[in-house]
Amino acid sequence: MMTDHASGPGLFRTRWFMPVFALALGVLTAGALELGGQRSSAIFSLILFAVIAAVFAFGGRSETVRQMRGDGRDERWARIDLAATAIAGTVIIVVVIAACFYEWANGRDGSPYTQLGAVGGVSYLIALAVLARRG
Amino acid sequence: MENDVRTLRADSGLSQAQLATAMGVSRQTINAIETGRYLPSLPLAMALARHFGRAVEEVFHDDGSR
Repeated sequence: MMTDHASGPGLFRTRWFMPVFALALGVLTAGALELGGQRSSAIFSLILFAVIAAVFAFGGRSETVRQMRGDGRDERWARIDLAATAIAGTVIIVVVIAACFYEWANGRDGSPYTQLGAVGGVSYLIALAVLARRG
Repeated sequence: MENDVRTLRADSGLSQAQLATAMGVSRQTINAIETGRYLPSLPLAMALARHFGRAVEEVFHDDGSR
């Protein structure tokens, strides 16, 4: 209804997107760990992501779970999601900056935190420009 | 910003869940609007007012805090 515009493309609002996404992420994570020779970590991550996928798939009685997976999402949840994303991004930026200072203070060049900080800063400026043009 | 959504809903004999379904939002969102924890978008405010046969300014009142 009137909240369709606030929730993104329809694909992300189906109840199966998040469970499938969580399972796919689990398989990719487990695959990467297996390639790196960390079999126990691979199995643990696969089980962990499978549990998360099951919660998303079968936790339909909870409004919070429905909103997180997309099919119960509305404009208020979109606003909460946006604020949570901004808070998480701010925390990451603060940690990256602190890590840069730590690396520099210990005589190193700051990698990879300087590059991560640059990516974050440039992404923010591009997003500002694009969103400002959209109005 | 204060509103009369709770009173209007109760007078209509609707539950929060029924109003939420009619508005296409979650029951939690209706509860948050009624308790003043969430200020709805203009389209949702207009839809709520229209649902009760009122104008937006008859449902949502500026309390002078903005």
